[in-house]
Amino acid sequence: MQANKEADFTLDLRGESCPYPVIYTLEALQGMKKGELLQVITDCPGSFRNVPEEAIAHGYTFAQEPVKNGQEYLFYIYA
Amino acid sequence: MKAMLHTIFQRHWNPYVVLLIAGLLSALYFGLTSTVWAVTGEFTRLGGDILQLLGVDVADWQYYQMIKLQGATWSRPDGWIVWGMFIGALMMVLLSNSFKIRLPQQKRRYVQGFVGGIIAGFGARLALGCNLAAFFTGVPQFSLHSWIFIVATGIGTFFGAKLTRTLWWKGRPSLLRGAAQPSKVKARMIQPYLGAVIAIAYAGVLIYFFATGQKLLGLGALFGLAFGVLIERGQICFTAAFRDLFLVGRSLMAKAIIVGMAASSVLTLVVISIYDLTPVTQIAALSTLLGGVLFGLGIVMASGCETGMMYRLMEGQVLFLPVFAGNIIGATFLAYAWDHLGLYDALVKHGEKINLLDALGPVGAILSTLTMLAVLYALTLYREKNYHRNFELNRGVK
Repeated sequence: MQANKEADFTLDLRGESCPYPVIYTLEALQGMKKGELLQVITDCPGSFRNVPEEAIAHGYTFAQEPVKNGQEYLFYIYA
Repeated sequence: MKAMLHTIFQRHWNPYVVLLIAGLLSALYFGLTSTVWAVTGEFTRLGGDILQLLGVDVADWQYYQMIKLQGATWSRPDGWIVWGMFIGALMMVLLSNSFKIRLPQQKRRYVQGFVGGIIAGFGARLALGCNLAAFFTGVPQFSLHSWIFIVATGIGTFFGAKLTRTLWWKGRPSLLRGAAQPSKVKARMIQPYLGAVIAIAYAGVLIYFFATGQKLLGLGALFGLAFGVLIERGQICFTAAFRDLFLVGRSLMAKAIIVGMAASSVLTLVVISIYDLTPVTQIAALSTLLGGVLFGLGIVMASGCETGMMYRLMEGQVLFLPVFAGNIIGATFLAYAWDHLGLYDALVKHGEKINLLDALGPVGAILSTLTMLAVLYALTLYREKNYHRNFELNRGVK
């Protein structure tokens, strides 16, 4: 599965434990221009739930469904 | 069948369901054994075991006399709760094929985890319980010390969350321009088979305990396993309950924990009255307040408490090795400081064991407990709303 649009930025969070994936993701989105696409790669199991839920709670939208890739997840979020 | 397997192993379970079951199981465990689901007491004993291996005589330390340092960890039901939790979590991690060595990119996390672990271990034992015995299983025992501990943990977590927000603490993430490739996925899957082997071996241990009449060890091992399975699959994080409310206005874990405690309180009251048991009450004193604040600060610094640390370590999150070591060092240092540095005389002696059942009777105890939990729930909702209102306002300005 590939995102329809190439991501403008990638946040590689592999190895980082909670809460840093959520903090980093929200901060990255805040720093980007509206409409730009962020790709998040994370392998902290807690973040599989709290990153997408908090991105949505903070008003961001997903470009596509999260992708499970082995022991990690990929998220595609519009700033 | 395939759909069911998918739900059990590929998804994380709903925290409300998990904490309701955990709350009910801990009440049941109390009914069967008259002890509660707890971990840090055993961590302290492990520290004592290690000291004795090194030739230090801890037999006359008051703290070890109080928490009864006897036998080895595998001959103590509390020990089996701890090992059962580790093994239950590992089993589920493997069965769901989610084990991976995860090394933090930010090297500072190891130091943060170690220091935070020490502070959390020290604080938890100063208060005579961590987020289990002085929180999740303490409230249902109607022990007033857990009420103080909850407030104190909230205060400590608040400052921890402030610290987490500072740049020198959190560090800069690797934000790259453009898209990046994810890791290659291995085609061969061996983890579920290892998980099944562990499950079968552990079933053998359980059968051995019950067949040889070692009922308390068997129950410890059984309930420990169940708690380990539950916290891993539910990704239950007591640290996140407070911290994420302060950090990003996230309320899910806090609400689920409150609901679980409410259910556990009701069932524990039933168990206590049917079997005429004495609830487990700990001293409420200045030490409870101080210990709670330290604990709250420490768990946020370490990114996990003594319970959450266990399943994350089993997932392969290497950060939690120094946290585990720190927890044991902190708890053991507290055991030393208890009498040798006069902590007991200064902070604990003037306290009192207060149980709401004795003070208010059963109706008063359950009503006040449920009221307290309802207030906590309302505060959680208020904080979440408030956070999002401020966030929207700031966004509007930008």
